[in-house]
Amino acid sequence: MSTTTPKTWGLLAQYESPREIYKACEKVRDAGYKKWDACTPFPVHGLDKAMGAPPSTLPWYVLVIGICGSIFALSFEIWSMQSDYPFILAGKPLLSIPAYVPVWYEFTVLSSCLTVFFGNWFLNRLPQYHHPAFQSKAFERVTDDKFFILIEAKDARFDADKTRALLKGTGASHIEELGD
Amino acid sequence: MSSKVIERPTDITVPATSLWAKLPVIAGGVGALGTLATIGMMFGEHKERAFFSYLFAYMTVLSVALGSLIFVLIQHVARAGWSAVVRRIAENSAATLPLFVLLFLPILLGFGHLYPWSHESDKILEAKRWWLGADLGNHSMAKFVLRAAIFFAVWVGLSYVLRKRSTAQDALVEDKEKRNTVTLSLWSLSAGGIFLYALSQSFAAVDWLMSLQPHWYSTIFGVYYFAGSMVGFYSFLALAAMALQKGGMLKTAITTEHFHDIGKFMFGHTVFWAYITFSQFMLIWYANIPEETEYFMVRMEGGWDKLSLAMPLIHFFIPFLFLVSRHVKRSRVGLAIGAIWLITVHTLDIFWIVIPNAGAHHGPPAGAAHGAAGEAVAAVGHAPHLSVALTDVTAFIGIVGLFLAAFAFLMKKNAVVCIGDPRLDESLAHENF
Amino acid sequence: MGAIATSNNPTLPQDPNVRGDVILPDPVEGRELLVRGNLTFHQVTEMVVAVNEAPLLKTPAPFVFGLLLAASLMAMFVGYVMWLFWEGPGVWGNNNPVGWAWDIVNFVFWVGIGHAGTLISAILYLFRQKWRTSVNRYAEAMTIFAVVCAGSCVVLHTGRIWLDYWLFPIPNQMGLWVNFRSPLEWDVFAVNTYFTVSLLFWYTGLVPDFATLRDRAKTRWRLLFYGTLSLGWRGSMRHWVTYEKAYQLLAAFSMPLVLSVHTIVSFDFAVSQLAGWHTTIFPPYFVAGAVFGGFAMVQNLIIPARAWLGLKDLVTVRHIENMNKIILLTGSLVGYAYGMEFFVAAYSGNEYEGFTFINRAFGPYWWSYWIMIGCNVAAPQLFWFKKLRTNLTLSWIVAAFVNVGMWFERFVITITSLHRDSLVSSWDYFVPQTEWFFLIGTFGLFFTLFLLFIRFFPVIAIAEVKSVMPEADPHFGEDHGHGHHDAATAGGH
Repeated sequence: MSTTTPKTWGLLAQYESPREIYKACEKVRDAGYKKWDACTPFPVHGLDKAMGAPPSTLPWYVLVIGICGSIFALSFEIWSMQSDYPFILAGKPLLSIPAYVPVWYEFTVLSSCLTVFFGNWFLNRLPQYHHPAFQSKAFERVTDDKFFILIEAKDARFDADKTRALLKGTGASHIEELGD
Repeated sequence: MSSKVIERPTDITVPATSLWAKLPVIAGGVGALGTLATIGMMFGEHKERAFFSYLFAYMTVLSVALGSLIFVLIQHVARAGWSAVVRRIAENSAATLPLFVLLFLPILLGFGHLYPWSHESDKILEAKRWWLGADLGNHSMAKFVLRAAIFFAVWVGLSYVLRKRSTAQDALVEDKEKRNTVTLSLWSLSAGGIFLYALSQSFAAVDWLMSLQPHWYSTIFGVYYFAGSMVGFYSFLALAAMALQKGGMLKTAITTEHFHDIGKFMFGHTVFWAYITFSQFMLIWYANIPEETEYFMVRMEGGWDKLSLAMPLIHFFIPFLFLVSRHVKRSRVGLAIGAIWLITVHTLDIFWIVIPNAGAHHGPPAGAAHGAAGEAVAAVGHAPHLSVALTDVTAFIGIVGLFLAAFAFLMKKNAVVCIGDPRLDESLAHENF
Repeated sequence: MGAIATSNNPTLPQDPNVRGDVILPDPVEGRELLVRGNLTFHQVTEMVVAVNEAPLLKTPAPFVFGLLLAASLMAMFVGYVMWLFWEGPGVWGNNNPVGWAWDIVNFVFWVGIGHAGTLISAILYLFRQKWRTSVNRYAEAMTIFAVVCAGSCVVLHTGRIWLDYWLFPIPNQMGLWVNFRSPLEWDVFAVNTYFTVSLLFWYTGLVPDFATLRDRAKTRWRLLFYGTLSLGWRGSMRHWVTYEKAYQLLAAFSMPLVLSVHTIVSFDFAVSQLAGWHTTIFPPYFVAGAVFGGFAMVQNLIIPARAWLGLKDLVTVRHIENMNKIILLTGSLVGYAYGMEFFVAAYSGNEYEGFTFINRAFGPYWWSYWIMIGCNVAAPQLFWFKKLRTNLTLSWIVAAFVNVGMWFERFVITITSLHRDSLVSSWDYFVPQTEWFFLIGTFGLFFTLFLLFIRFFPVIAIAEVKSVMPEADPHFGEDHGHGHHDAATAGGH
């Protein structure tokens, strides 16, 4: 059982309920692993804390790009209406801040939401159509009702036997080795 | 099952040694002094300004009491779970509404000074008599008083029943069936109550504030006053909850989670206020019809322009950027700063609505024969230069003091939390995601 | 959850076609379970994807019939649009002074329908209304298709359709920009932003569910189709962290967005000087009306669909009742706005305002005004009674009335205000010519897209529904006091 070929990507352990994986994640976290992950059909609340996963940095990207978009929109309106081609329409002054608000606002929201959307996939490194876990037949239930822990062989603490024993000790119902 | 052990609070009465116990006397004394001083000045040299100062203070504090009432109604209708630990605060601040009936009397005294339609006449004002009342020379305020009586009947009635049934529920902790009946009865009462509230509050705003400039009209005005009142109320709620804890009550019951939620509502209603205010301004500014622009014209001169231009900044952008942060809302200091800031700018907002009318109208407008638009423009007059009069301060201190005294008096009478509320456990265990 | 999340659920019948319709008493302590029938996660998955996974050739006949009907209406719409291109908007009944007519009525109607979808996804999410998980996907899809219909109306109403690119900020040959001070330009930005953000929001929510369909795919095309759409989603908790933050942010942005979009639509009317259009309550009144009409459309779609698709355990009568309450609330808000407009028109002492409103109610178009009042203000008042708002047939009928009423609301605003403008000599009466094809055609477009959505995409947000089930709590079944204070209890939405 313990032959770790160089091609091993890592280990996959299956759990049956949010409660089991929650407890298992706490143990894996406490064992000091870093390059590992939990895969679940839905976000299990508090599991990120049980894993010791850091919070998302997404809001910062959104804040910065949203503010840039906001400044751009307002300055563009002012520039195009007041400097580039000044033109009085409907008796409105060239610098009509109230009338600039709607487009200013919509563009701010649009730039922020585009950042949220693309930032989400960028930070998660998706799309990624190939992943070692997809080799596993059992893993097909990850989007249905089964819960998995993946520990990568690259982790400094990874040891095929010890890690497997650890996972077994957490009550995994099924453990398999994943090729690279 | 929850992983948290829910402990029902035991520190639910006002300790005799806390400031809360003395507040009815202290605040009541200061309040009475301020109010009486203002009333005294209503007979003095600057009596006109005194009436406007009084109206400003009255409408500011009233907005918090009315905000409390709608808050309680909404919590019942929505069957809110999170808010059970703070609902009693709002029930009590809403139950101060009878005080405002009494405090309304000086406004009637100043009726002829405050409301130009009480003694002026032109084509537009005559077309409004069917609603406003007060025929020229007659000074009849029968319609005005009748409407005020209806508004107060709704508010006092609702706030009285809401508080009475809720405090009666306190004794029913053991009797599940009975206490659930109380909650269900409050639920159905509130559903209808919201409707009565919406109408009475809107028309009160029209009567008492919008008709200060009687040629002007805006369909959104009731919502505008409502939006401001919610900003004022949630800020008051945050501060009152903190003060309760300082006074040794509900130390563990009100948690950061509840403050976080109150903070979200402060934030949300700041945005809502900005939305409503901007909508009103934008439509009037863009269409540029003389009947409507007078409202903003008087506020764009004599120093008021500076306050007008500062409003978006101080009432929206600054609190928005401050309160948008989760950390600020979850920090007591941060939230307290936000609440004090918002109460201040809300007060300024009512000041900005009321005071520019002081002295703006003197006698019937010139050129009364030049058609509707001509009359409206002629009737605009000029606002007094932006300044804070002594009466503004005395009136504000006076009414705030009386309000706080009544509020603290009611808090003392019963438990400071709805201890019999069936959703109290849910509220105690509440956590934000 | 546990002690605070569930009330004592009485035993429900075993039949999944019946138990979703059982009306339970309003719980005072605790909350009613959102999913009925003690389903497991796997059963939820099976229940939702059953319709998506049925082989193509075994598509139920009524569905095929419905799709063909909708598609033929859409084909008719395409033909109508070609004819419109050829002849120009002269085929419409627009005249002077009714320069804005059915095209704009349709546009505002469809944009409004869309708003309930965003409201359910965003506002109810922020207000922790967990019941939204059963209906949000549906409503979001409705949003997108409704905005597509609205877009088609607004694109077509310009007349010279091939010049529509003038709407975008591209300088012309003289270097002149579009006018950013014009409400019509604001509309371009509002509708485009709204469509884009709704689509992104919807797709973000769909990705984990596409992955479910991918993992269950039995045929090559399904694997490729759902595999591509799912972006290789594997349910990684580290992904969920960012994903949930993204979802929360999109919700937070969508809430003011949905307000702003209909506000800007209302600005199209309200920044003018026309009595009946220019009134300051328009922005919140339009938003309330949009949400109102949108929820009615959700009811019209979901009440039949939950029965046909066998989703009664997930969309229970409680969900329907909750939406009826929102219909009652928003209907009354709209009623408040109608009343306030009328009152202020009378209060203002402005004879033009006064005339406009009297003319609405008693002028040539009196019937449209009273259809509006009857459907929008009167009909929803039935929902004060629990017996009526939990009656599914009645709910559907009232919702249909509301849809009719909301269409007429826009008709009243647009046409009655214009046909009696300030210049008496130009007064006229608007009679639609070929516009019925326009309205019916957009319905064909809407239902074609919607039926295809039902067939191929999961109509319930599978992952979200699972996350609000009590078993989703990592502490489910534990006793008190295990000391996991740092971990939020599950389903904290």
